[in-house]
Amino acid sequence: MSASWHHAPAWTAVAAAGTAFIASLASWSRGGTAIDIPWAPTLGLRLSFTLDGLGALYCLLASGIGVVVFGYGACYLPLHLEHERESPGAQWRFWPWMALFMAAMMGLALAQDLVLLFVLFDVTAVCSYFLIGFDRDRREARVAALMALVVTGVSAVAVLIAAVLLYTERGTTSIPALLAHSGGGTTMTVAAVLLAVGALAKSAQVPLHFWLPRAMAAPTPVSAYLHSAAMVAAGVLVVGRVHPLLARSQAVLDGLLAVGLASILVGGALALAKDELKQVLAHSTISQYGYVLVLYGIGGPAGAGAAAFYVMTHGIAKSALFMTAGTVTMATGEDRLSRVGGLRKEMPLLATASGVAAATLAALPLTLGFFKDELFFKAALEAAWPMRLAAVGAAALTFAYIGRFWMGLFLGTRRVTAHPVPRLLVVPIAVLAAVALLGGVFVEPFARVAADAARVTHGSVVVLAPAYHLDARPENIMAVAAWALGGLALVVPRVWRSTVRTLATVGDRLGPRRGYTAALTAVDHLSGVLHRLEVRDLRNSVAAVLVPGGVLAALGFAATPTAGAYEIGRIAPGDDLMVVALLALVVIAALAVAAARAHLHLVLAVSVVGFALAAVYAFLGAPDVALVAVVVDTVTSLVFVAAIARLPRDVLDRGGAPPAPPSGRRWRDVLVGAIGGLALFGAIWGFLSRPSLDQGIAAEHIRLAPQAHGQAVVTVILADFRGLDTLAEITVLAVAVVGVATLLRRGRLW
Amino acid sequence: MTIAVRAVARLLLAPSLVVAVAIMVKGYSDVGDGFSAGVLVALAVSLQYVAYGRRGAEAALPFLALAPLVAGTGLLLALAVGFFPLLGGKPIFTHWPGPGVHPTRIGTLEMLTAVVFDIGVFLLVVGVLVILVHQLADDEPPAP
Repeated sequence: MSASWHHAPAWTAVAAAGTAFIASLASWSRGGTAIDIPWAPTLGLRLSFTLDGLGALYCLLASGIGVVVFGYGACYLPLHLEHERESPGAQWRFWPWMALFMAAMMGLALAQDLVLLFVLFDVTAVCSYFLIGFDRDRREARVAALMALVVTGVSAVAVLIAAVLLYTERGTTSIPALLAHSGGGTTMTVAAVLLAVGALAKSAQVPLHFWLPRAMAAPTPVSAYLHSAAMVAAGVLVVGRVHPLLARSQAVLDGLLAVGLASILVGGALALAKDELKQVLAHSTISQYGYVLVLYGIGGPAGAGAAAFYVMTHGIAKSALFMTAGTVTMATGEDRLSRVGGLRKEMPLLATASGVAAATLAALPLTLGFFKDELFFKAALEAAWPMRLAAVGAAALTFAYIGRFWMGLFLGTRRVTAHPVPRLLVVPIAVLAAVALLGGVFVEPFARVAADAARVTHGSVVVLAPAYHLDARPENIMAVAAWALGGLALVVPRVWRSTVRTLATVGDRLGPRRGYTAALTAVDHLSGVLHRLEVRDLRNSVAAVLVPGGVLAALGFAATPTAGAYEIGRIAPGDDLMVVALLALVVIAALAVAAARAHLHLVLAVSVVGFALAAVYAFLGAPDVALVAVVVDTVTSLVFVAAIARLPRDVLDRGGAPPAPPSGRRWRDVLVGAIGGLALFGAIWGFLSRPSLDQGIAAEHIRLAPQAHGQAVVTVILADFRGLDTLAEITVLAVAVVGVATLLRRGRLW
Repeated sequence: MTIAVRAVARLLLAPSLVVAVAIMVKGYSDVGDGFSAGVLVALAVSLQYVAYGRRGAEAALPFLALAPLVAGTGLLLALAVGFFPLLGGKPIFTHWPGPGVHPTRIGTLEMLTAVVFDIGVFLLVVGVLVILVHQLADDEPPAP
């Protein structure tokens, strides 16, 4: 396999992302498009995708950032694999996941159905599992991958539960139909909270944020894509999509606001405290999506517009910064702020490009970022006054940590030598920086995308007019105050250093990650205990089937009406007497099984039970069942006899009895048998004496059998009416035999 | 195994196969189907294994080695009957001839695709069970 062959998937992914970007742009500029095909008609589920404003924003973000990051990754990944001493062929298990992730993300952006949303949520979670755990030989990568999967996957179930709740309440899971209904109620509020929980976990918001810093074990292109503009954006995308549902309850909006503020604070403070480059950026992401949630919590046209604009700007800046971290690590071999510095001379282009990205995040003028904070402050001005203070504080925090990050990399004394890196590790960052600068001058196209997205969130037209104003309006004063506070924090780090370090330590000791680890350990322990209990000996294995089966059946009885059931019918002379006699034989044989002392007696008694039951079937007019019972019972008996014939002589001579259990266990065995037996007895009795014996499909089968050219109904059902079931069953048989061959003879069938 | 068991095993082989084929063929109009017929064949074969051991049984009946082929043919036959209607734009498991159409007869045998499906089931069950017996059997018969 030539080396260029291994590069094929990367460039295919780049091409796919480019095509998707152009297609999204073209479709959006023509007013959008929609696909709507039935999926599960009986449930009213439809595969419905609409490219509206919100969908366009996230599609453009996912595919546009996708092109840049995939191009970066095409250069980065081979170097990474070389560093990890992996073969270049490993690219083949990277890019398909990356491309699938992009497809799922774009599907998520367009999906108009809650169930579809849930499915695509899970697709992104599964992709992220394989991408975060790409370096599968490293333990922390595997742990991080599992953590991301569990946290985002389990919380995605909240979205499904919300969908089911809304379905029972409104009879649909289609988002536009749900939004069209007015009115609230407890169910609606609970569903709204559940939707928010699923979204918050995906966007790594407090207290479900701990998976994101861990996920930094992923290769840099994964972080630059998933953890800046894609996976974490999926959460706020959902909030933006179902915002009118959430907005029906002020408490839910206040909850969003509180979670957002907590995330800004926790993420921002930890971003100041962390030393590893990617950890700083990960905590910054937590903090930045906190902003978006705050804006959705404020709501209204200003909040919705600012949130959409914020997501777009942050995605561009943050993926550039993640790629910067990757390039610096690739050039110097260091991944900590305390080990690098003064790289501006050696890497001037990188320093400039990432400087623009950092300025965008810090909201300096002449970058797209300035307007994100302008809109943010404007929205904050419409909220209560504590919100204004919080907004300035948040912006100052962002300024401080991102300033610390950039200055730590490029200013100060030089601590390491940087090796030259391929140009493709710098150019994508420069491209994103150019976009951010362009937006700083011509903001109108960006504002139009955001306004169109906000129209979906808000439900009516939103006007966004970000612009430079050289006057003393409150937004400008707030921005200047934020820069001043942030700059002050950068100049005198003594003020905050001990505080954030304490916070970081407390977070490590008492943070929610501990809860996650404890829960995982507890589940693992429980599983281990159950497993040991079940496999300890044969009796336990049998009990593990009988007891849960019996208990479940008993619970079923408790919930079923019993009027008229459990009656003892009349015994008519004739065939009925024969059946009773045969059943009596079954009882005697069953007792003989329990009392048998010799192996052979036991086997023979079991087969008497089987044959007598077969005779009962025959008398009750089911000759097909009887025939199957006879042949199967004969096979079973033959297998037993063949096995006994091979037992060592001394085992058979030792009275032939199976070893007696200890006396305490014996009573337990009786109890287990009684639970299983009585539940089964009750089930069969209740079924046979059902007051209105509902023939159901059976009568229809009998009526139709002659039309299918058959007289034997059972055969006709097996081969015709339920042919697909039979096919599935015999396929299982074929698979099972391959499994046996694999276990016994290393896959040789003969 | 005793001489008696060996003699009985050898004597039962041919009648068992005949009965199995009868059950199979008449399955659509009378008691029995591909599954029971297949188990019956497997029963006759495993009796040989019990009586003569693996080596003895497979030396006497060399065609047993075709079991994987038989199983594969059965599965493919069943799959084909199930999914071929798709080619004609019909739902899967559309059997031929349809209701109301008189099937072609050879003697008293009616030609139905459903019966072909049942034959597939029969072949698969025979193949699978014979493979299982082969895998689980000892090389030598136990001492008498």
